[in-house]
Amino acid sequence: MALINIATHEIHCKIVYYGIGYCGKTTNLQHVFKSINPQARGDMLSIATETERTLFFDFLPLDLGTVHGFRTRFHLYTVPGQILYERTRLAVLNGADGIVFVTDSQAEKFEENVQSIAELEMNMRRIGKDLGNYPFIMQWNKRDMPSALPVNVLDRYLNRRRVPSFEAIASDGKGVFATLRAISKNVMAQL
Amino acid sequence: MEQLTNLVISDRELAFISTALNKLMNDTNATSVMLIDKSGQVIATQGIGVRRNATSLGALLAGAFSSSRHIAELLGEKDFRTIFQQGVKENIFTTIVEEQWLLVIVFDKLTHIGLVKVLSKKASDEMGRILERVRADTSRTKSSVINVQFRSSVEDTIDLLFRD
Repeated sequence: MALINIATHEIHCKIVYYGIGYCGKTTNLQHVFKSINPQARGDMLSIATETERTLFFDFLPLDLGTVHGFRTRFHLYTVPGQILYERTRLAVLNGADGIVFVTDSQAEKFEENVQSIAELEMNMRRIGKDLGNYPFIMQWNKRDMPSALPVNVLDRYLNRRRVPSFEAIASDGKGVFATLRAISKNVMAQL
Repeated sequence: MEQLTNLVISDRELAFISTALNKLMNDTNATSVMLIDKSGQVIATQGIGVRRNATSLGALLAGAFSSSRHIAELLGEKDFRTIFQQGVKENIFTTIVEEQWLLVIVFDKLTHIGLVKVLSKKASDEMGRILERVRADTSRTKSSVINVQFRSSVEDTIDLLFRD
């Protein structure tokens, strides 16, 4: 739920990166953190296990500065990708204004991606939202991997809603900002 | 597309919120109090203790609260309406306001938890009334902020800032 604070002249929006374990959600946020103007970001917070896998969420606050007298902020979150953390994913989704589904393009991950997107649809229904009427985009990540499926195949089976999609190699930063631009504009258009 | 649900908080309502938070802080002798949205966004803070880390605290407290509600579900409880986090020096008491906001009280050993529980309940009821007015005002006041010029300027800023 976007928050518009007229008294303090601030607008806050929440964007969640969703997807299977090791698909590159945290890598997306890490690239934004290291590449964006330092004045436009706060500290990145990661609640990770000892092996550095996301346990609860990663959090990166971004500040667009003052636009028409309003300080506009985007808060980026990731969910933990591993199957057993389903309840945690639901907790992080609470109050989201937009969602990026990060897909691991590798053929051997296809089935997991299908299950994860079905779970996202179900979780959205649980919190009373319809993904069809929601700022939602797809990112085809790991395009550099030898077993990456063609984009048209991913699009046909994973992007049933035909939402905007972006190819990415998040570890090299490719496609990360294109994805962020698209979801941010989508969220603002829905305000 | 369906419009998102937003909350627009006016000067007037924020003044009521700040007064209620200030009263709660003084009456409980708390070190800080905060009002955050359940999505983790900070609405208002009083006291100096939390101001510097307010953004991160908002995200973490909302996450912890949301997580505790799922724990309740798994235990067959209807829900947990409060969380108490006890430290050596500082404690945090969090309570929900009308399924939308979280009222957070940070206090030390000079304050008794019983006092915090009772007074936070009263403050939470007061916040609930403010929230009701905020919800009623939202659609009326939103158009004064989010207009065509604003949207176009934000898009330009996004293009400028979010790039390689």
